[in-house]
Amino acid sequence: MSNLDRWLMIPALILPAAASAPAFAVQYLSVEQAQKVLFPGADQFEARPVALSAAQRSAIESASGVRVRTAEVAAWHAKQGGKATGWFILDEVYGKHEFITYAVAVGLDGAVKGVEILDYRETHGGEVKNPKWRAQFTGKKAGDTLKLDEDIKNISGATLSCKHLTDGVKRLLATYEAALK
Amino acid sequence: MNAPLDAALLQSQPGVEHLRARPLLGTLVEIAATGASAEQVQAGIERAFQAVEMVHALMSYHAADSDVSRINRCAFERPLPVHEHTWRVLTAAREMAEASGGLFDISIAQTLTQLGFLPRHADFPRISGRGNWRHVALLPDNRVRLMRRLRIDLSGIAKGYAVDLAIKALMDSGISAGRVNAGGDLRLFGDATQTLHVRHPGAPTSIVPLVELRAGAAATSAGYYTQRRHRGRMITPLIHPHTRAACGVERSVTVLAQDCMTADALTKVVHADPAQAGAVLARFNARALMLEHDPVSGGCRIFDSAATGQPGCRARWGIANDSEQACDV
Repeated sequence: MSNLDRWLMIPALILPAAASAPAFAVQYLSVEQAQKVLFPGADQFEARPVALSAAQRSAIESASGVRVRTAEVAAWHAKQGGKATGWFILDEVYGKHEFITYAVAVGLDGAVKGVEILDYRETHGGEVKNPKWRAQFTGKKAGDTLKLDEDIKNISGATLSCKHLTDGVKRLLATYEAALK
Repeated sequence: MNAPLDAALLQSQPGVEHLRARPLLGTLVEIAATGASAEQVQAGIERAFQAVEMVHALMSYHAADSDVSRINRCAFERPLPVHEHTWRVLTAAREMAEASGGLFDISIAQTLTQLGFLPRHADFPRISGRGNWRHVALLPDNRVRLMRRLRIDLSGIAKGYAVDLAIKALMDSGISAGRVNAGGDLRLFGDATQTLHVRHPGAPTSIVPLVELRAGAAATSAGYYTQRRHRGRMITPLIHPHTRAACGVERSVTVLAQDCMTADALTKVVHADPAQAGAVLARFNARALMLEHDPVSGGCRIFDSAATGQPGCRARWGIANDSEQACDV
């Protein structure tokens, strides 16, 4: 530490590991709110869930280069005055430390109109693989509460890669081509 | 229109607060805003996201049609006009490079590509390997010329600029309090003092309260989420421009500054050489806090570039309590 001579080491600030806070979660938007944000003009969202066939799954995987982990696609047809304006697809991705629920709006031209994050949860790596821990996210409805921890909202941490989120959007675009178009 | 969310968020604050996030700039960009009405807040947030999207489109290394990719493809052959925003970031990058004696250098893109942190572009011309920031010439009328065959990457500074532009968009929209956080580069304004948390460099899923902020910017750089294995060793995309060696993963650097672009760029200077960084920090009226994992206790040691007791330092950043109180948990 000789190169830190001019830096003030704050003796009181040798933080024990236990002083740090546990993992946290943020809810940004409910499903309904995300639908409104992504399709402001739409007046109807018709639920059109899709169960992908094996052929569709492999078509999506080869088109996007991303693994399809589940056959269920949570899709809504956005309509304005009875006329289709695009698709709203709800999806989730998880990385080593985080679990993200997000929605993609696909326009009638098949292009991404927007991406919004609904929930962000951060966790310890091991928990994601735990089926019980995972189960708490399945079947989650819009009204379910997810408390925003008021004390922890300004985390200046290093960048979390959102590569799996980018991959998720690619996968959903391929899903649109294979199953919704 | 988002009434249930507002009610949950807003019990203690006047006005309406909304919080949104989108994947941009290779990370999650979170924008919070408080204003008089839901419509005003949503419009402000939308404008702020548009500003971030514009910076993303102009300065992405990955996108083939960004200003950065156009510079890398053809600015050695001929002077290339770029967008005013790109020009401003290039100018700031040059100023930071000069002030730090090259400890901040946008020409490390080649090293980042070799280490696998940046993608390879088949249509980029070969590079000579001898160029540095001095060979990025900024010509009149927002034109750029590369004087050597090199490649630039603005990811060490553009995220901070995007945050600054988003904050400006919120202010221009009449938002009374706002916060923009792009994966650790954050800036806020408004009346309320907020605690800034950082990740524990030895246990990044643990979060440590570091300092109280009311206004201003903070940026944190550390390798814990970006590290990858290269030739049997864990490395980070934090490159020392002189040696071209990647910094280790055990340290986290947070810089507090007036604007987020300055804070973002200064984190790289501190990572590269903490001993020399003091003068550069002083020149930009900035302050750095370094966290190091302490393997003995499992906690972390915190180093401060400035005496926290100096009243000027605290007033400058709107820091209400000094960090010792903030950290005394």
